[in-house]
Amino acid sequence: MRILHISDTHIGEKDHYNKESLKIALKELEDKDLDMLIHSGDLTQDGGLKHYEKAKEIFDKISIPHIIIPGNHDKRSGGLSLFKDHFGSPNGVFESQEAVVIYVDSAVPDTDIGRVGIVKYDMIKDALAEHTNKSIKIVVLHHHIVPIPKAGRERNVLSNAGDLLELFLKGDVDLVLSGHRHYPNVHRIENTVFVNAGTTSDKKTRYGDINSYNLIHIEKEKLTVKTKRIDGSKEKKYFPRKDKRIFYDFGEKIFRVVHTSNTFISSSPKFLQTHFFNALKIINSLDCDLTIHCGGVVEEGINQNYKLAKTYMQKFSMPIIYTPAGRDINYLGYELFKEYFGKMLQSYSDEEVLFRGVSSAQYDSPEGYIGETQKEELFNDLDDQKRSFKSVFLHHNILPIPHAREKGLLEDSGDFLREIVNKKIDLVLTGTSSHPSAMKIGDTVVVNANSMSSVYQRSRYGNSFNVIDIYEKAVVVYEINSLWGNRKILGIWDRNS
Amino acid sequence: MNKAAPNFYDVDMPIRSFITKRLIGVKSESSVQEAAEKMVEFSTGSLVVIEDEDIVGFITDGDIKKKVVAEGLKPDMPVKEIMVKELITADISSTIKDVLELMAEKKIQHVLIEEDDDIVGIVTFRDLIDIERQKLETYISRE
Repeated sequence: MRILHISDTHIGEKDHYNKESLKIALKELEDKDLDMLIHSGDLTQDGGLKHYEKAKEIFDKISIPHIIIPGNHDKRSGGLSLFKDHFGSPNGVFESQEAVVIYVDSAVPDTDIGRVGIVKYDMIKDALAEHTNKSIKIVVLHHHIVPIPKAGRERNVLSNAGDLLELFLKGDVDLVLSGHRHYPNVHRIENTVFVNAGTTSDKKTRYGDINSYNLIHIEKEKLTVKTKRIDGSKEKKYFPRKDKRIFYDFGEKIFRVVHTSNTFISSSPKFLQTHFFNALKIINSLDCDLTIHCGGVVEEGINQNYKLAKTYMQKFSMPIIYTPAGRDINYLGYELFKEYFGKMLQSYSDEEVLFRGVSSAQYDSPEGYIGETQKEELFNDLDDQKRSFKSVFLHHNILPIPHAREKGLLEDSGDFLREIVNKKIDLVLTGTSSHPSAMKIGDTVVVNANSMSSVYQRSRYGNSFNVIDIYEKAVVVYEINSLWGNRKILGIWDRNS
Repeated sequence: MNKAAPNFYDVDMPIRSFITKRLIGVKSESSVQEAAEKMVEFSTGSLVVIEDEDIVGFITDGDIKKKVVAEGLKPDMPVKEIMVKELITADISSTIKDVLELMAEKKIQHVLIEEDDDIVGIVTFRDLIDIERQKLETYISRE
């Protein structure tokens, strides 16, 4: 199957609309092998009648199957009705013999944010269930699910991106197409390829880039994404369509780390003491080399909590390293964290492994930010360290978390994630949003921990912590229920060679 | 028990979203003891048996109990002597109900899932019960 993927055409007036760029992209339609065209939104500049008429004139000439969805610009000033009049339903399912394409409108009128509500979430879920036997499954949304680099503050990931990400991974979706940020980017998470298109014909590009579009070729064994810029330059990326499912040769176990978060120690009933002490007993029996606490050690950054936390955390029988959450450093916490638990930036290393802390917390704020200076220092440091296994840990999540509105997402996650993946960092541990998750993006395993012992948790599995076993040839991530100790595998992946 | 607890699945749903996509394997010449150690280490009740990168059999903790321990045999015997060679599989587009019916018909608790002639996952009776059990655990753990 071959797809021409265009996006953010912003058809309108000359001051921002590059008519010639769109012409170059649509010239690709002369290739008789193309099966379909997909436009992932922001068809028009302002959602007005004049722009819709202009767009219709262009797209009416297309003879192959095509899907066009609205973006935030198309829904400005009541533009959704005009979209429906000119292009039909903004949501739907396209089916061919081998493929299903599910497309949904993710734009919220008169804002830039993206959202897929409960009704449309169920629509995608039902469509994936109905078409489970199709060998190619594609979802199209205007807004992105995975943070995009060079896009400034990450505020436009879909608000329920975590639920959608979980749905797509479980449903074996092959390809997710988006636009919106005017910067082309491709990530592979597990077996799903997330393609974000640049702008095909808006003059507003990012990072000095020029207009571009994607040509996607899906074959039995591989998926190829070719990003073509209008000056004729090309970037090609290949992704295998099947991942490794059977593991039998792990080699020796070299390290076991406990990954915990949001213990929320305090004297309030919001801190679940029984859960904490049950979990502590289990952890101390697991023969672990290290515990990493990804923030939220205390419920609030006040002295009585820190005093209690110090007493409780001393009961762990292995070394522990910490990174703070916003709540750890509110009130006097900024001073108390250092007094009771040491430096804000902590790390652990031996001959083979390195765990490097990153500080993403801001005091009196739940927001997370790493900043350019810390990021540069971190990656220089990681480059200098010669270890076979490198890991970074921080409080805020860098990939969307299920059942959580994306408020815990690191604000500069797009750039950070891109660099983590480019540098093939083996493991990233995070601890916001109190829901476990583990997935591989590129060559990096990203794991989030649930709250170990607070009433504020979002998993139906209950409060939990993770254990990560690093073998010579594989990484295994378990989630362990704090109260009962039952264990389930969140993922197994080969180690990077 | 919280009667208002929601149903997390419906039996007519395709099994695809419920499968475990990672399978742990053991080589056919490995000993039964090694297989049992792997089951303990990875907290799993079954293993696929591998020969030259292919799946040639399947072994459960029940097989070890029945065919080795209860028979008074030594656990140093190779896995291939007790493995089940006829793999019982369900297609990935089967529904949860289909898989439950297969489990009942064949009197088994583990079903391998196939897609385009490849084994791509496993579903166990415990996985399906776990979904329900988790509701109870969460209910209790919330106090």
